[in-house]
Amino acid sequence: MKLNINKQRSLWWGVSLIVILAGLVAMGISWQKYGAPLRPSLDFVGGTRLQLQRDCSKPENCAKPIDINAVRQVMSERGLGNSSIQLLSDERGQQQGILIRTKTLNVDERTQLQQTLTQEIGAFDPKATQIDTVGPTIGQQLLSSGLIALLVSFAGIVVYLSLRFQLDYAIFAIVALFHDVLITTGIFGILGLVQGTEVDSLFIVALLTITGFSVNDTVVIYDRIRETLKISPDLPIDQVVDNAVNQTLGRSINTTLTVLLTLLTLFIFGGETLKNFALALMIGFAAGAYSSIFIASTLLSLWRERTGQSQNSNQLSATSDQ
Amino acid sequence: MQKQRSLLALIVVLIIAAIVVIVKFPVPLGLDLQGGSQLTIQVKPNEEIKRITERELEAVQTVVENRVNGLGVSEPVIQTVGQDQILVQLPGVNDPEQAERVLGGTAQLDFRRENAESRAFVNNRQQQIQGLLAEQQKLQSAKERDEKAIAANNAQIEAKIKEITELEAKLFERTGLTGKNLKYAQATPTQGSNWSVALEFDAKGGELFAQLTKELAGTGRRLGIFLDDKPISTPVVGQEFEKTGIAGGRAEITGTFDFESANELALQLRGGALPVPVEIVENRTVGATLGRDSIQRSIYAGVGGLSLVLIFMVVYYRLPGLIADLALVIYALLTWATFALLGVTLTLPGIAGFILSIGMAVDANVLIFERTREELRAGKSLYRSVESGFYRAFSSILDSNVTTWIACAALFWLGSGLVKGFALTLALGVAMSMFTAITCSRTFLMLAIAIPSLRKPELYCPSLPASNKAQGAT
Repeated sequence: MKLNINKQRSLWWGVSLIVILAGLVAMGISWQKYGAPLRPSLDFVGGTRLQLQRDCSKPENCAKPIDINAVRQVMSERGLGNSSIQLLSDERGQQQGILIRTKTLNVDERTQLQQTLTQEIGAFDPKATQIDTVGPTIGQQLLSSGLIALLVSFAGIVVYLSLRFQLDYAIFAIVALFHDVLITTGIFGILGLVQGTEVDSLFIVALLTITGFSVNDTVVIYDRIRETLKISPDLPIDQVVDNAVNQTLGRSINTTLTVLLTLLTLFIFGGETLKNFALALMIGFAAGAYSSIFIASTLLSLWRERTGQSQNSNQLSATSDQ
Repeated sequence: MQKQRSLLALIVVLIIAAIVVIVKFPVPLGLDLQGGSQLTIQVKPNEEIKRITERELEAVQTVVENRVNGLGVSEPVIQTVGQDQILVQLPGVNDPEQAERVLGGTAQLDFRRENAESRAFVNNRQQQIQGLLAEQQKLQSAKERDEKAIAANNAQIEAKIKEITELEAKLFERTGLTGKNLKYAQATPTQGSNWSVALEFDAKGGELFAQLTKELAGTGRRLGIFLDDKPISTPVVGQEFEKTGIAGGRAEITGTFDFESANELALQLRGGALPVPVEIVENRTVGATLGRDSIQRSIYAGVGGLSLVLIFMVVYYRLPGLIADLALVIYALLTWATFALLGVTLTLPGIAGFILSIGMAVDANVLIFERTREELRAGKSLYRSVESGFYRAFSSILDSNVTTWIACAALFWLGSGLVKGFALTLALGVAMSMFTAITCSRTFLMLAIAIPSLRKPELYCPSLPASNKAQGAT
């Protein structure tokens, strides 16, 4: 298999643009709906999340299924009518748990709510309870520190790559990174609308990991471009880039594959918390492999063609046409 | 060959050391895995104190520590975060409501006056109990035991004890002098190695304090200093203050203090004196059962991920793949041992970082083997191909890892709790993967090449053109 990526570069860019545009549209709709481009979890907006599980070791406690309407009733009586309520099923597929997401409750409000729910639907197992209360200020801190971390690592990568390669390499690597981040957030924007998928602080961690990993891929290809340029400076840049990509293609596919394999097991076995994290990484890493091959390298060759920076370009056109 | 032997010895030593470390030092589990509560307490400024400084934060931390000790949780972690937050971790706590209530309340320091009547009453009851106890002994040692009398006497003793406990709560009366009126408290040295605690009140507090001490001076009744309704010090006011009380707003608590105890009391006083409100802004509680579930799921995910990668490598890369697998298992051992040695607390995202690093650890090997294959296809000898595979892949491996470290550094530097754990485990994992790929894979491959029956190029590159095979074998 040999890819002529530079010949078909408008096709590859088109594919990326379509996915990114779809994501942007989804984020726009989310903005109207939730006031944020992605559906934020309580990590960012603050609130209380209660995960309760009925204690089935008590006799008769789990005999009747949980009546979600009874739960809704309790919530609206307390003026928490617009909370989201979800039934959770355990590993045997029985729905013995509920997940409630609501505005920030203080200790007393929460304790009262738990007591009323106990009366209505049965006793809960305190050992299987999960409580998350996040104040709005904490959410802001998480978001801003996450975004700053993202910017800092972008800057760090630009500096490092300009030192090891050249500034234009670094800039196109960052373009590819933006591509990966945009595709991942875009797809989560769509998932938020379709499935109600929320993004939490781990999503920002995922974006940063994607950044680190996908630039990996780009660097390997760049490394090869640099090497080929050194060995045969007379080759046109298109050819150099095509060769470099093809020579590293096996490696790109294999490393992405092994990482996706481990992520797949995390996605399947990792439980609720890690599921979306693994999904974000899978999307981002796939986008990262794609952008290294089809975006970062083609942009570099386009740029060097235009600016005539490809080595000895005048002589080159004379010799390479034969 | 000599170099390979000594490297092999080093690797064996490392593996043994890693196993010993893993067995001896268990990796501590984060609250999301063992169950427990993590609370973030925000210290807020008010009209009087507009900016939270280190001193206020330290004082609040002391109060929080005292309260946590009162809860009786084993191995709590209390630390300051940033400029104005305190993080409290309570492992295995079953009653998050109580913890939240106790920790979220404002610290209340107040000065109380011992009530003369109650004190006399308590003393009187205590004497009566003494009498009853003596009676009890007599009854029990009598020749003919009168069980009825013993039981009646016992009931009387219990009733008196109950009376005393009830009274003790009323022993001290509030005086209206509270921590709000206290400006300052500090440990100060007196003669010799003795220490005392110096207090300073504001104007209103000074007046109240003078009045209170005047009343108590010389009576033997104590001054009670209470923090959150618990007495932290009950000094006696000297007779010399009978006329005016301790005026001027300054006082000193003397006694048998050394520096530590004086400082602790001063800190408690300052903490209680601190009129800044606190609020619990974050509470993350995970039940113990859920935590256990998470560990189990993580083990499945880790084992599953590792085996898939191992299988893939052997199928695709043949003999080098097998060697990479060996290196990968060593990688997992060494990384885990490093976590244990450094005392990294393992959280759910941390485990994810570890599992992910397994997938990424292969990267270095893949780079090297792809390069080796290329060189073989180009017609180089097996030995040369392997050599230059390692040599030429190195700059790619380094560059790509440095960029991952940059992202990890940003996460570690700017992220919070859980995020830090992820960044640290991932960064360590990447560093370790570089080490194992370069030393372990290389040593094993070189040793394999040295064995004649393994010196077949098709073991390294399945679809090698026939013309290259003969060359490669040399």
